[in-house]
Amino acid sequence: MSLRVLVVEDDREIRALIQSSLSVEGFDVQTAVTLREAQALLAHALPDLIVLDLGLPDGDGIELVQQVRLHHTTPILVVSARHQEAQKIALLDAGADDYLTKPFSVAELLARMRVALRHRGTALAAAVTVHALDDLHVDLSLHQVQMGGEPLHLTPTEYKLLARLVRSAGRVVTHRQLLADVWGPEFTEHTHYLRLYMGQLRAKIEHDPAEPRHLLTETGVGYRLAVD
Amino acid sequence: MQEPVAPPSHPKAIHHWVTLVGLLTAATGCGFAMDGHVSLTSQAMVYVLAVVVAAYSLNWKESIATALGAVTAFNFFFVPPRWTLEVESQEHLITLFTMLLLALVISHLVAGLRRETETARLHARRSRQLQELATALSAASTAPSIQVLGQAAFDSAFDGPNLLALAHANGALELSTSEQSTLGDGLRCCLREAAVLGPGTGRWPGLNAWYLPLIASGQHCGAACVHPADAADHDGREHAQALCTLLAQALWRQRLASSMRLAQSEAQRQQIQSTFLAAISHDFRTPLAAVVGAASALQTQRDKLGAAEQQRLLSSIVSEASYLSTLTENTLQLVRLSDATQDITMEWESVEEIVGAVLARLRQRDTTRRIKSSVPEGLPLIKADPVLLTQLLGNLLDNALQYSTGAIDLVVSTEGETLRLSVKDRGPGIPDDKLHAIFEAYSRNDRSGQRGAGLGLAVCRAIANAHGGRLTVHRRSGGGSRFTLSLPVDAHQPQSEAA
Repeated sequence: MSLRVLVVEDDREIRALIQSSLSVEGFDVQTAVTLREAQALLAHALPDLIVLDLGLPDGDGIELVQQVRLHHTTPILVVSARHQEAQKIALLDAGADDYLTKPFSVAELLARMRVALRHRGTALAAAVTVHALDDLHVDLSLHQVQMGGEPLHLTPTEYKLLARLVRSAGRVVTHRQLLADVWGPEFTEHTHYLRLYMGQLRAKIEHDPAEPRHLLTETGVGYRLAVD
Repeated sequence: MQEPVAPPSHPKAIHHWVTLVGLLTAATGCGFAMDGHVSLTSQAMVYVLAVVVAAYSLNWKESIATALGAVTAFNFFFVPPRWTLEVESQEHLITLFTMLLLALVISHLVAGLRRETETARLHARRSRQLQELATALSAASTAPSIQVLGQAAFDSAFDGPNLLALAHANGALELSTSEQSTLGDGLRCCLREAAVLGPGTGRWPGLNAWYLPLIASGQHCGAACVHPADAADHDGREHAQALCTLLAQALWRQRLASSMRLAQSEAQRQQIQSTFLAAISHDFRTPLAAVVGAASALQTQRDKLGAAEQQRLLSSIVSEASYLSTLTENTLQLVRLSDATQDITMEWESVEEIVGAVLARLRQRDTTRRIKSSVPEGLPLIKADPVLLTQLLGNLLDNALQYSTGAIDLVVSTEGETLRLSVKDRGPGIPDDKLHAIFEAYSRNDRSGQRGAGLGLAVCRAIANAHGGRLTVHRRSGGGSRFTLSLPVDAHQPQSEAA
């Protein structure tokens, strides 16, 4: 049975483009033009993934994200224009899984969808606990980090930070989410902690910290652990 | 400080009576000194002199009292029989009566003279005040400063309490809540009727103050309330009206000037906007033409085109479209940055991360890895908007990729409290006379050949300025250009917590 995707997008051209691109890839695509329509479709049946455009005619989508997150872990991909930074971050903080900035290529969309679907259900089932890319190997169940086969010593905070990214490997994790999960909810405004500790982590993990391979910066939004 | 323009108030009554007694005593003393040497008439003249002095320095009641006292004292001390109030001969009686009449007439005349002198002085002071106010008003450019000058003028001319309220452009008065109930009605009414209200005006004569409108060329500029108001004080009311006229004219001038300034800046803004629009449409047209051309070729001639040709057209569409996207991004950013009402949010950011994010994006184009980066360890954090800095650095590197073929160096360094990011290329370089112009929106170094991000450098400089930094360009010895962004580093770096 093919995976069902709900595309919420008010622009006809982009809606048609996404629909045809996803259909070609074998997805069963439903479309909605407004949030109200999307809510009606969601009440009827839950898709496997939601592609949600920002700036819909009847709202900014945060209600939809909150509503879905009340009971479900369905991955939500936010599609935004560049000037919608603040809204986009609000949706990610509210539980959306990842985002794409317009204009985006179909290849990018499919890559983001693959990562999002891989994480499906991680909140309920066991989360991703092993991550390996190039010479970096992380096993959360063994509390082990290796570089090129050699164990790597990390401070407790560095380890917590890396572990949080491993659990969402491939997806963006916002500054707020990282600060809340690693330092605690009262530290969500202390972005300089992130700058300092991510710098230390890059120094230990990356060959060229100025051009990271693993710890990718999503400017103004958060960080992403590369998976490929 | 101006000298007070209010009518002089009379010194205390007790002081007057002391003067009166003093004068009489002095005259009596003189009379005794001359006693035996001069005639009785000469002694009477001394008393008349005292009455004249009293009439000039005291008010009419005390002057008359002095006259009566002088006659009585003269009678008592000098007119035989002395030391009694009786009068011996008819001649002496006539002397006394003449003296009394003379004293009263002189007292009356002198008092009148003094009143006139005072009035003349008051007029002079008032016209000087009007003159000074007019001079001060010509230098005042804002409504509040005019209000301050006006209030000071009223307070110096009238005992008060005085109030000057300005009107909005729609005619409504600016009144504080405490002024609303008590004075507001009178002020609004005089403005509505465009006439002075209060004693002596025939309108609302029962009031204890004058309410005066400030009207110039039919424009309601404000209203004033002046205490105390006396129905007989025509001069005072006229002075208050003259002050109001001056203030109203100043306010009206100020309104005219400000609306003229507005109109001028609006015209200027429209001029800039239309230049900008003309330039930007030119820049958008070229890539759009390429996209439409390639897409329509694919649409109509696909069957005749070879696979390689089709692929070339498709990549042309993708690259032209992404160029359009960059152009849009720069245009929007420039508009956003030039809007002074939108302030950017600065957070502690890592330069290493910003460089990393820019390189991650550019490596898709820079497949041969022409960009070499050199970022030292342990850089300080900077207060910045990371999205803007990423855009700045991206534009500089984009341009370098576009205009040069050799290696491009991206070098970060710190020196004291300044952090420098330099982008160095070995391109054709920028002629000396264009070194400044390239940062202007739409004055590209070379319009005929390759294109850059039309607004790219203008946006870069705007972003640098918004961060309190500087963007400069230099020619490199051996050819090429070096763009350098200098950013201030806060000496107070944030501390990592002891986690």
